[in-house]
Parts: sequence; structure tokens; C-alpha cells
Amino acid sequence: MEIYLPVAEMSVYWLVMIGLGLGVGFLSGMFGVGGGFLMTPLLVFSGIPSTVAVATTLSHVTASSMSGALAQWRKRAVDFTMAGVMLGGGLFGTLLGVWLFALMRRQGQMDLIVSMTYVIMLGSIGAIMLRESLATLKAYRSGVMPSSRRVNHAWMNRLPLKMRFRQSRLYISIIPPVVLGFFVGALGAIMGIGGGFIIVPAMIYLLRMPTNVVMGTSLVQIIALTAVTTVLQATSNYSVDIVLALLLVVGGVIGAQLGVRAGARLRGEQLRLLLALVVLTVCAGLLWGLVAHPRDLYSLTLGAQ
Amino acid sequence: MKRALAGLLLLMSAAGARAEDLVSGISQDIIEITSNYTGTDIVVFGAIERAQRARGRNIVVVVRGPDTPMTVRRRDRVAGIWVNRDSAKFEGMPGYYYLASTEPIDRVAPPRTLTRYGVGVNYLLPSAIGSHHDARPFRAAALRQMRQQGLYTEAPGTIDFLSETLFRTRVPVPAVVARGQYNVEVYLFRDGDVVSAQSTPLFIDQTGIERRLFNMAHNAPLVYGLICVFMAMLLGWISSVLFRRPA
Repeated sequence: MEIYLPVAEMSVYWLVMIGLGLGVGFLSGMFGVGGGFLMTPLLVFSGIPSTVAVATTLSHVTASSMSGALAQWRKRAVDFTMAGVMLGGGLFGTLLGVWLFALMRRQGQMDLIVSMTYVIMLGSIGAIMLRESLATLKAYRSGVMPSSRRVNHAWMNRLPLKMRFRQSRLYISIIPPVVLGFFVGALGAIMGIGGGFIIVPAMIYLLRMPTNVVMGTSLVQIIALTAVTTVLQATSNYSVDIVLALLLVVGGVIGAQLGVRAGARLRGEQLRLLLALVVLTVCAGLLWGLVAHPRDLYSLTLGAQ
Repeated sequence: MKRALAGLLLLMSAAGARAEDLVSGISQDIIEITSNYTGTDIVVFGAIERAQRARGRNIVVVVRGPDTPMTVRRRDRVAGIWVNRDSAKFEGMPGYYYLASTEPIDRVAPPRTLTRYGVGVNYLLPSAIGSHHDARPFRAAALRQMRQQGLYTEAPGTIDFLSETLFRTRVPVPAVVARGQYNVEVYLFRDGDVVSAQSTPLFIDQTGIERRLFNMAHNAPLVYGLICVFMAMLLGWISSVLFRRPA
């Protein structure tokens, strides 16, 4: 029942790892997010070294995103222009992130910065989504159709370098998507996430993209980003475990397909409400870890730093 | 193992000196890590030559893993959040340490002797310390955490005597161990002093496909990374084809 991981240099129950992949894959298929923000903490909790967890989760995200993206692509719900523009920023962000990753590990502040970033990102995004989805649900219930989303932010209209995004029916500056891509790329390398939980809300609320193309587009850009980051982590930190990746991926792709089915039965705002609750739960758990009195004030790291 | 024991007995009868002495061996000198490796046991056995009275005599078996650098950090509360502040680095501490003895180690010998031979978890001293503060609480924390993780263990009273002079003990090798050269040390203590000691190397290494994957991750990381990505994309694609709803 146990299998040895050659890079992590430890044994794990392989069924548990497939199960982890399945569960997180289900959520990722349902919400159109990669699920890395759940997978990395779960792997660390199972005793996998955090460097291996961060680097290997990326493969799981690639696979479940691939699975989801193909489904969206068949529905013609992918804006490749937007994905390409965001990726331009994302690649530079990834390079910065891998560099920061190494720097923080030397300083011993890695866990703190990762946790704080998670808490801030998850907390604010979760809160915004919760408020918005509840308001929309309430509006539906009282029979009033929600007002049009197509009110653009005034400051975004004044930015230069405008470009037409046919699939999203948008004519906006490329600066916000490039900056967003950069930011998410950096976060992805540091946290082992694709960044879908940031991209999806940002595309909806900031870029004002139509919800139906948001998922496919974010998935395509996540695939590309995690693929590049996996190779960077493999070549610079040697921390990708291919056996663990295989277990997570097998569970992940099945879970993602099931998740897409389940997600199709729910309305957009219901999905967003559920995702908001998942995000806020993870956030609360991490916040507790930061402020609660640690069981042991000392922490021990083995091996060269 | 039987043959090794028989060989030992031959050696014993051939020896000629007068002082109390020790011969020992291990059941296997290589542990190969394969895909279903979940930890194993080795048997350390030995015999006392020209045995004198049993009173005041102690056998101690130590299995010591390769040295590993340790970094210990202490958290302090800053604005309500627990932050790593002070740290200490230790060199020359073993990554794995198992001790089996006839009696609790503090009753075997005085602390000075134990420190000199590095026998007993509490008597392990780093060869170098990097710290701006008093390193003692950091060292104590490192020992405590290594014990909790099952990497440092003391097991008094686990040496079985098969006869007056023939003994053996079973040493567990857990699943989470570093690869490399281990040393199996057998000490014969008489009235708190070491009168004889033997050291035998034990190698733990990956084998087969695990070894090939590990080597590839380090020697051809680009290809390895690309294979990971390709595998992930391929499986993603396959699942999407398999699960495709019939049109």
C-alpha cells in the first residue's frame, strides 16, 4: 500500500495521494481553478517536505487544468488572445518568483511570507466573492435582474496600449492583464499554485470579462504558467517528484472531470458562493496557524540551506 | 546469519590475547530502497571474548547515520504574529541515531566518557556551532525534535543475551532515512570505561527505477522537468477524451 518517492526520499500511502488528487481535482473542475492553494498545504500536512510539495503540486495543476481547459475549448469558451497577453507578464513574474523562493528559504522566512500572502490574498478575494455572490443571489430571489456588469472602471479606460479581445468582447488596455499575469506568475512560483483563485475573480471583477470565457481562459494561461514553472523548479531546485506527481495527476484528472459535471448543474453565483466559502475556510486555517501559540517555539530544518 | 555466527565462534576460539574483547557483525551491510520500501530491521550480533564477571559489564550498540547540517529557529511574537527570529546552525550532528544498551545509558558510564565517544542522544555534540546567542536551548530543541520524529532513539534493555557471552539486538531502520553510509558501533563497557569497540559500515541506497529517477532529476533536470509536464498534459488530455459525453 505504500510507495517510495525517489525525490522526496520517503514513503507514502499511494491511495491517500490519489485520493488527495481526486478531491482537489474535483474542486478545480467545478470552479475552474487549479486547486494548488489547497494541495500545497495538504501535502505539507501529510509530511511531504514543503519544497517538494510546492514544486510537485504544479504538475497536478497542469493536468487538472488541461482536462478542464479541453472541455471549455470544445465549448469555444477560451480567449487565447487574453491568455497570451497575461502569459507575457506571467513569464517574468515566474522568474522573479523562483528567485524570491530561493532568497526566502535562505532567510528562514519562507513559511511566514507564504502564509501571510495566502491569508491576505485568500481573505480579501474570499470576502469580495462572498459579498458579490450573496448580493446576486438575493437579487435573483427578489425577482430583480442584476444590473449589467458592463460598467468599466473609469481609470482602466484611460490607460494606453488598448487592444481588442474578440472572444471576451472587450476593448481594453493590455496593462492590467499583463500586471495581473506578472503578479500571479510570481505568486505561483512561490506558493506552488496556478493562481486561478486570483485570476478568476480578477477577470470577472477587474477586467469585466464575461463569466463563460473566464474559466477556459484562466485554465489555458494556468497550464502554460505551471508547465514553465515545473521546468524551472526541476532545473533550479531539483524538487519535483515524478512518482508523487503521477499519483496526484491520476486522481486529479478524474476528479476534474467529475467536478466539471457537478459544476454544470450550478449557477455562476452559486459556484462563486461555494468557492468563496472554500477560500475563506483555508484562509481562516492559515490565520490561526499564524496567531495561535505554537506547540513548539523552535523549528528544526535538516540539510544544507 | 547462521553462517556469520558460526564464523564468529571460530574467530573467538582462535583469538589468544588475555583482555576482555568483543567481536560483532550485522545481518546485512547494504539496505536497498525499492518502491515498496517501508523501513526494515537489521540484526546486530556479537560475542564477548574471554568474558569476565557479568557485573559491571555493559554492551552498547549505536547506529549512526550520515552527518547533516541542522538549522534551529525560534519563533517570537511580533504584532500578534509568530515570526522566526533567532536561529542557530549545527554541523556534524548525525541525521539518524539509534542506541540499544543493556542498561539506561546514564548508568553505563559517567558523562565525560559518554561525551567523548558520542554515546547517548544527550551526549551528541555538534562539531561546529553558528549562533549569536546562547546555543544550548537551540541544541536541546534540536534533540527534542529529532526524538519526536523518531530519528534519535534510545532503547535501553533491548540487547538479548543468547548465552553468557553471545548477544544480539534488532535495530529498526525507519522509512524516512537519508541515504548514505551509516556506522554500526558496538561498545563493551567495563565499570564505566570502554574496553573494546567495533565499527562496521552499513550502506543505505536507492536501487532500480527509484535510483534512475533520482539520478535523472539531478543529472538531466531539464529532460526530467519536461517529462513531468508532458505526463501531466497527456493524462489531462486522456481523461478529457475518456470522459467525453457521447454526442
